Amino acid sequence: MHYEDQLKVQAYLDGELPEAESREMANRLARDQSAVALLTELRQTREAVVGFENDLRLPESREFYWSKIKGQIERLEPPEVRPPVPLIARLSRWLVPAAGVALLFLLVRLGIPAPETSSIETALADPGAMIYHDYSAGATFVWLSYPADQEIADEDELGTFE
Amino acid sequence: MRLELVCEGLLAFFAGLLLLPYAATGGSAGEMQFQVHLVWATDDAKPPEGKDYKPLEPDIRKQIKALKWKNYFEVRHINFSLQPATNKKVAISDKCSIDVKDLGNSNLEVVLIGKGKEVARVKQVLRKGEILVPAGDAPNETAWLAILQRVQ
Repeated sequence: MHYEDQLKVQAYLDGELPEAESREMANRLARDQSAVALLTELRQTREAVVGFENDLRLPESREFYWSKIKGQIERLEPPEVRPPVPLIARLSRWLVPAAGVALLFLLVRLGIPAPETSSIETALADPGAMIYHDYSAGATFVWLSYPADQEIADEDELGTFE
Repeated sequence: MRLELVCEGLLAFFAGLLLLPYAATGGSAGEMQFQVHLVWATDDAKPPEGKDYKPLEPDIRKQIKALKWKNYFEVRHINFSLQPATNKKVAISDKCSIDVKDLGNSNLEVVLIGKGKEVARVKQVLRKGEILVPAGDAPNETAWLAILQRVQ
């Protein structure tokens, strides 16, 4: 069977053929065993794939799952080459933090505590680690490949915990 | 003249209201209290045989809603407090410990130590009720979580 004909069988199965071509394909299927065999195989494959998809379930939310993938991609990406920065922009880099420091100094001198910030700094010895913030739940996850993989695998199932 | 006095009085009143929270805390944070929950995440309905793990508290479960395991069993939990500008090292298992340091204004430095080596160091603000969760995958599509919760 030609490649184009195979595609037509697939389109017939998916209900994508125009009415006239669909009738033509139905007639062909009545007399062409190879077309019937292909149609059967395609139908079984589709059912198997659909059934398999139903069993898939991520152990984390969509956002968490994709943030892990994003983190992995970012680790693979080469460092960005930055264009030269104009003098004013370079100065503002220093002036803005300096103004912030001056403001903090003023607040301290006035006896008013500095406002809490949501900044986060991390140093992860684990290269496979990633961080995910769920601000709505007030939760920060630091997902590591350590230590369960190594320790539990070496010992009993919950060796990490005991 | 009288109107000016009234306005000044009102301004002073509202300024006092704004500064009341700072006055109440003396302008600095006091002792902080924490809980560490060591948790096993699994799709299994029950903990492993012979282990008396309890289901995780519903409130904390809500906070880890980003994770989609069916069940979370608390292996153990530890309460501890932290004086201002100090640090405390808490063992969460024979091999793992967590070192929490107060940097002021609810800023914390949390170091996860495994087998005597530093695994992760995180500096962040952790307000009352918030959680920081060092975690990782475990065999058989399960996971371990060390949930650090600021209680007070």
